[in-house]
Amino acid sequence: MAFISSGYNPDKPMENRITDIGPKKFDQFYPPVIAKNKGKWLYHEILEPGVLVHVSETGDEVYTVRVGAARLMSITLIREACEIADKHCDGCLRFTTRNNIEFMVDSKDKLEPLKQDLASRKFDAGSYKFPLGGTGAGITNIVHTQGWIHCHTPATDASGTVKATMDVLFDDFQNMRLPAKLRVSMACCLNMCGAVHCSDIAILGYHRKPPMIDHEYLNKMCEIPLAVAACPTAAIKPSKTELPDGTKVNTVAVNADRCMYCGNCYTMCPSMPLADTEGDGIVLMAGGKISNRISAPKFSKCVVAFIPNEQPRWPTMTATIKRMVEAYANDANKYERLGDWAERIGWEKFFEKCEIEFTHHLIDDFRDAAYYTWRQTTQFKF
Amino acid sequence: MGLTIDEQTAKDTIVETLKKKKGKSKFYLKDYYKMLPDEKMRDVKKIVNQMVREEVLEYWSSGSTTMIGLKGVGKQATTEEGE
Amino acid sequence: MAKHETPLIDQLESGPWPSFVSDLKLEAASRAKNENGIDYQIPVDVCDDLLGVLELSYKHGRTHWKHGGIVGVFGYGGGVIGRYCDQPEMFPGVAHFHTMRVNQPSGKYYTTKFLNDLMNIWELRGSGMTNMHGATGDIVLLGTTTPQLEEIFFDLTHKMNTDLGGSGSNLRTPSCCLGTSRCEYACYDTQELCHSMTQEYQDELHRPAFPYKFKFKFDGCPNCCVAAIARSDLSFVGTWRDDIRIDQEAVKAYVGGELKPNAGAHAGRNWGPFDIQKEVIGLCPTGCMRYEGGKLEINTPECTRCMHCINVMPRALRVGLDKGVTILCGAKAPIVDGAQIGTLLVPFMKIEEPYDEVHALIEKVWDYWMEEGKNRERVGELIKRNGMQKMLEKCDLKALPQHVQEPRSNPYIFWKEEEVPGGFQRDVNEFRKYHQR
Repeated sequence: MAFISSGYNPDKPMENRITDIGPKKFDQFYPPVIAKNKGKWLYHEILEPGVLVHVSETGDEVYTVRVGAARLMSITLIREACEIADKHCDGCLRFTTRNNIEFMVDSKDKLEPLKQDLASRKFDAGSYKFPLGGTGAGITNIVHTQGWIHCHTPATDASGTVKATMDVLFDDFQNMRLPAKLRVSMACCLNMCGAVHCSDIAILGYHRKPPMIDHEYLNKMCEIPLAVAACPTAAIKPSKTELPDGTKVNTVAVNADRCMYCGNCYTMCPSMPLADTEGDGIVLMAGGKISNRISAPKFSKCVVAFIPNEQPRWPTMTATIKRMVEAYANDANKYERLGDWAERIGWEKFFEKCEIEFTHHLIDDFRDAAYYTWRQTTQFKF
Repeated sequence: MGLTIDEQTAKDTIVETLKKKKGKSKFYLKDYYKMLPDEKMRDVKKIVNQMVREEVLEYWSSGSTTMIGLKGVGKQATTEEGE
Repeated sequence: MAKHETPLIDQLESGPWPSFVSDLKLEAASRAKNENGIDYQIPVDVCDDLLGVLELSYKHGRTHWKHGGIVGVFGYGGGVIGRYCDQPEMFPGVAHFHTMRVNQPSGKYYTTKFLNDLMNIWELRGSGMTNMHGATGDIVLLGTTTPQLEEIFFDLTHKMNTDLGGSGSNLRTPSCCLGTSRCEYACYDTQELCHSMTQEYQDELHRPAFPYKFKFKFDGCPNCCVAAIARSDLSFVGTWRDDIRIDQEAVKAYVGGELKPNAGAHAGRNWGPFDIQKEVIGLCPTGCMRYEGGKLEINTPECTRCMHCINVMPRALRVGLDKGVTILCGAKAPIVDGAQIGTLLVPFMKIEEPYDEVHALIEKVWDYWMEEGKNRERVGELIKRNGMQKMLEKCDLKALPQHVQEPRSNPYIFWKEEEVPGGFQRDVNEFRKYHQR
């Protein structure tokens, strides 16, 4: 390999340096029909799962085909998406907030060839490259985090749990039979880079053991005051210990009762690794939403305290999710989000209908807010 | 707007304060405000970022938060070398 | 022949949902074949080693990555996340595997030219793996070596006219829904405001300025498709103050079954004929609607703009014309004091260039937080610690009943001395003239 310079001169980093320019302006990327009709749209309709039409007051129409995609995506696949956009969509495409891709055409006759092209493309091993769906009262793509593919504090994998879950929920990606939309999110530790705290169903990676301490190396690799300061619950203190060979070293001590297993100390100090095969696994949460439609946005609640990591396909986790989706689909009223349904029937009935065992872990004991989640009435269901 | 003391004095104060700190090489931006208590926070922020451009200071990021210290100082610097 | 055996993750190739494992293998094969004769600037087998290290994690049930905090591009405090593999001898291709966050264009529209140019840079200088997009909204370029960081940044800024996104204690890359570009519900041009704020605050985006991260998100309407209300320290949600526009003929067409309700969103099940009383009037959270004698009436002062009726009958109902934003503050994920949904700060603000009112508010919030926020304390936590009254005071906003769900249920009102006539200093001797000891 010969080093290919971009023009950057490491000896003079400021030479020809361009900074603070921000992203390119969005309107350079509009398909012509979008540029022409921006702000003029009258209404839209979902023609079939994954296919939308938006109609403008100018009479123009834009047909959008939405396809699912793994968030982790290769340039080879992105180029393939570009090739499709070049062939059908005048070289334009967009991505959605939930990692879907949208291909847009400006007339109905261009729709069918585009749909067929997208639906026909599969990986050699058989999965779809661009499955149509993700619209209306169904389940769209799962937003998620990095997991074992790239993160240093995950309690589970993200791409794998998502793939396993979407395979199980795939019919509802391509259908619109649910009482309302159902949003699934995934975050691989409680730091929640993927902010799953307001999702209908949330998959959360969770550690259950405090960090180990590599006493021999800690003071060589880490600055103790920084490790202490990294802890959000003040569970870490400076300490001294004696190694087996009699050497006295400065190190830290972790108050296990205070540790919330966030891994922030490991970020600051590589001598405090957290990951553990038995300790790590999945928490399931349910009933959150972000839309203001009918009811106010609300938080997801913990409904399963722990499911072990069962890679590569997490069958207990996906079966539990499937049970929740089916119970919701069968029992909720039209327009009721999963959380609205659980509140209407009562959470005690939610556990019954979803066949989920309630355990003591699910009673909040974290700070003041906990009190407001306990029951202060004689009204409940047996 | 602008510092009430001259820029070099401000920079020297920061470097001297950092050199005196033992056992800890990285600090939050708020810690720098305390080094120059009579200055506006935005001005301190500017001078700190200026010192990064001048390669006197460097950033250290946890991904979610940023700390700032003297360039090349600290135990992480050695663990992350050897690229 | 694959470099590493991967029996566990191979099981993620079956099933209908796009397999990231198949995709990784596609990239590994493409690099091995190298049809275009590219002089790869990082190991050619980087994707093979990524598959290998992932398989090892599947075997162990533990991650094999370490964090690196120093790497970055010169003068920027954000945009790069350092990663190192903890088994570099087994997987030398991913020994250094840093992420770069590239600021996406607002609304995530692309031309294939832009994407292809970007992919060409990333093929030459990185792993060829991306996230489209990361949770905050950036294009994430996943995995390259330290020497390539500056080269990629130079290519991005010089060839692509594009910059990095935020990380650390910076303003994070703002993001928005697609707004008026393709949505009839949008109450303002989310892309324009998002882009404008991104450009205005480039210094805060690239260089640490705050006690912790800070996020803006821009939703065009209360449906909140980018989750501004749950995920941003300052959330801009489109809204309106006047009447919902009603096309009575279209309402009748919905009632008569000529128009598909819900824009077809519930078409996957037979829910029976559309019943406007039950599905719209009956579900209106404020009961402000009436349908009698073939005419729909909405009592606007009672309406809380939840979007339900509009979502059900988009061809008959449209958002009003007096549009603007509702601004909420303090949303965040749980770490550490629990999750927060945004709290109402400004019930209504017009969105008009050059956005002076928006800037003024943002800067007041920042000034307060920079002054009083503790290290690693989000704005939402500061508000909880110091109270909402203080937040309103710092933002020069008058307290309104809209700011609360309900008034306080305890009477422990902490009066300020200047609010009480005569102040707190009293003369006890004067008092004793009338009251014996």
